[in-house]
Amino acid sequence: MDPVPAPRPGGGSPVPDLRALRTRSTRYHRPRAPFCGVGYCTNCLVRVNGVPNVRACRTEFAPGDAVSVENAWPSARFDLLAAFDLLFPKGIDTLRGFRRPAFARGLYQTVVRRLAGTGSLPTPSRPVPMAPARSVATDVVIVGAGAAGRTCASALIAAGVTAVVLEREPGVPAVEGCETLVGTTAVFLPPPDLARPHPFQLIASALGGTAVDVRARRVVVATGGYDAGLWFAGSDRPGVLTAEGAERMHPVNAPGFRHAVVFGGGPRALEILDRFPEQAEAVVAPGAIDPDVSRRGSELDIPLYPRTLLLSAIGRGGVRKVRLARRGGNSPTFDVAADAVILAHRRLPHAQLFFQAGAAMTWHPEVGAYGPVLGAGGETTVPGLYAVGEPAGARDRDGAHRSGATTGTAVLANGSWPTPSTPPVDAAHHELEGYYQELLTAGPGPGKVVACPCEDVLLGELLEATERGYRGIEVAKRYTGLGTGLCQGRYCLPEALLVLAVREHRPVQEVGYITQRPPVVPTSLGALAGLPDPGAPSP
Amino acid sequence: MTAPERRSYRTAIIGGGIVGLFTAYHLLRAGAGPVLVLERGFLSSGASGRNGGGVRQQWETRPTVRLMREAVGAWKRFGAEFGTNVWFRQGGYLFLANTAAEVERLRQVTESVRAEGLNGRLLDPASAGRHAPALSLDGVLAATFLETDGTLYPFPGVWGVYEAVRALGGEVALGVAVTGIRTEGGRVVGVSTTAGPVDAPVVVNAAGGWSADVSRLAGLEVPNVASRHEILATEPLKPFLDPMVIRLSDGLYFSQTMRGEVVGGLSIPHPPGTRAGVPTSPAFLRAMARSLVAIVPALAPVGVLRAWSGYYDDTPDGFPVIGEDPRLPGFVHANGFGGHGFMLSPVSSKRVAQAVLGERTDLDPALFSPGRFLDPNRPTRAEGLQPG
Repeated sequence: MDPVPAPRPGGGSPVPDLRALRTRSTRYHRPRAPFCGVGYCTNCLVRVNGVPNVRACRTEFAPGDAVSVENAWPSARFDLLAAFDLLFPKGIDTLRGFRRPAFARGLYQTVVRRLAGTGSLPTPSRPVPMAPARSVATDVVIVGAGAAGRTCASALIAAGVTAVVLEREPGVPAVEGCETLVGTTAVFLPPPDLARPHPFQLIASALGGTAVDVRARRVVVATGGYDAGLWFAGSDRPGVLTAEGAERMHPVNAPGFRHAVVFGGGPRALEILDRFPEQAEAVVAPGAIDPDVSRRGSELDIPLYPRTLLLSAIGRGGVRKVRLARRGGNSPTFDVAADAVILAHRRLPHAQLFFQAGAAMTWHPEVGAYGPVLGAGGETTVPGLYAVGEPAGARDRDGAHRSGATTGTAVLANGSWPTPSTPPVDAAHHELEGYYQELLTAGPGPGKVVACPCEDVLLGELLEATERGYRGIEVAKRYTGLGTGLCQGRYCLPEALLVLAVREHRPVQEVGYITQRPPVVPTSLGALAGLPDPGAPSP
Repeated sequence: MTAPERRSYRTAIIGGGIVGLFTAYHLLRAGAGPVLVLERGFLSSGASGRNGGGVRQQWETRPTVRLMREAVGAWKRFGAEFGTNVWFRQGGYLFLANTAAEVERLRQVTESVRAEGLNGRLLDPASAGRHAPALSLDGVLAATFLETDGTLYPFPGVWGVYEAVRALGGEVALGVAVTGIRTEGGRVVGVSTTAGPVDAPVVVNAAGGWSADVSRLAGLEVPNVASRHEILATEPLKPFLDPMVIRLSDGLYFSQTMRGEVVGGLSIPHPPGTRAGVPTSPAFLRAMARSLVAIVPALAPVGVLRAWSGYYDDTPDGFPVIGEDPRLPGFVHANGFGGHGFMLSPVSSKRVAQAVLGERTDLDPALFSPGRFLDPNRPTRAEGLQPG
């Protein structure tokens, strides 16, 4: 076990310095560093006071906490078990390898079993509280206190509706006039039971390990979105970050990087250029670069590479340079020296609750994501369930406010619901698929393309499944294990859909949905055990 | 969708789960092609991709013990024969009894197991704890353990047999649903499908939880009942638990997979039938979490990663249904496996293939044949050890 770097000095509770934290991946012990900053990826998992798999980026540490990194020996910075990464450049084939000789089966099982997971069984240094879940009953529950959720909540409260707001982030100010549960993530929204006075049951997980059981007549989902991942060789290296990861974990006056390649040509890339003007080294975009991004890039006097493939991040234990190639086929590769790659090319909505509740979904090719089929007021096909903000297609703050206000009015009017219909299948391949088509042709490299960093599944394994005739995202998931790790597939399944559409020569809608099995984020057994008895009368 | 390539087959198998695929494999090995497997969804979309991967030889009745003993041998050879690893790990099965009646039941199980030459043992709680030190055994009166029982990873089993079937020239039509059983002169002549009609003098019903629906398509009333069962997986952890653990009192079962996840379920009441789809219920998450934390207290802070459900295909006496239906020549049953179709599949499918070929099987017709339910005076013997 490896003690994490010393707590950062200064006010507040001591936290491990996320800029300096290093961990190791599950199977190949590849070096990793915090990537997403918002509590989804597996790169900041530490053991705290005997509890494994704690996300350092989501934890308030107290003085005296025992914090360590698991799955590394002797330390996360120098891990001898990384030999597995070198010994198996094409990956460990647990599906077809290890079958002979028969007498070695037991040994193989022991080794492969040891390679799974990162944390070991909890040995809590203090007893884990088994707190009963908090039970709340309300007319409307609003999931998310961002711009859209807030505007919607305010409109409803002004009209005298009882509302409760859930907000994943701790420390967000309460919405005036209603109960706001912060640090509380909605994890499970089963289809409503219309026979109950409160048809919806929403289960949430609160920081500190307790559950919240919300009963509501209507649900407004304002869960926002997140910055997507991207596949290239070394995309799991320390130094590769999402835009959110850079914003949350790297203070503007002292970021943990000096030369960052910003990947993306839209508003999100502009935000990163504005935030880290000193560190931005180049703008690389999969498609065109927006005029205001170009302007800002020129002011900063940095090169702009529109319509460019990001092939690989090269380095040892971090990023030293990135390898690029202009799109359009057969372009020579070129390198840009950098110690960080910030992914700011694409935001995806959090749409899991709609899947769980049984809402009809439709594919948005320009975003590369499924979203709910919506009426004019944000109504889904499930009566009583609404979408606002990014899940409803809002692209900026103004859009989010508008969406929140419109849906506020719609909730009060209790209007009509769109009928589920089979959306027309769009046979054309779009920009996003085109990018991966060219990347696969050009061939990323050198080194591993870790498609699923949580479980160390390689892109090569996914492509092999297709070559053997296995088709569709559901089978690919089961064949490779891709998307079955702690991030619940957030950073790999959207990319897998695009790559499979290319490889299977068919539209994404036929490759499949990303079915979301509950819970939305891992939720402790202790919290779930505290849920109220379903036999008891509802509050 | 992959439509059938021909119009006519010697055998059409309804259901591309492990039972249907294995049946096709044995038929093709016997040279009895062409064979068509019809799968409505995708590979592993049904119970073959939703089960907990248990493989046990501890049962109440000797015929089941005998079949499963043969199955354990088949699973040990699977990797060499089919080219994919199911990672069959013989960590044993630990059954826990909390009441005197349950202890008596486990005593009978151990008798059946030992009578078949296996090393099943009835243990006091202290000895049971040595096989799984993480367990809290408060309230446990006795346990049984059999070290050659184990767990496997189901998906590679499906891939391996699927690839073998195709290599032998068998056809697996994916995304093709059966809409009718075609009969002429009181015997089967084929099936109607969403990809058109197919001729086949023998049709095998290997539809798992949907087998009663398929039998009804043929106008046959059967006592099979689909029951929904839920299951969950936790975050992966380094190895800490070797056996599959089963508690009789609430039907709790769980094991730690090769991937480190704790995977398990328990029985909570659901309305029968397949109408509900396959969702997860908050009631299950609560019950399972309470039960698991009570028996492994250290798991309290461990996260649940995902939960899902699937359908058992239950029969009134707990024995599967294998053989030709006496009411409809050409209609062969390979169903009613409860929650144990996967573990039995390498050996049950051999008998199904024999039935398709009109050969005698070594199965006692009073326990396994479809005709047994038609006999009002049939013996009331039952295989009652269904959990896990």
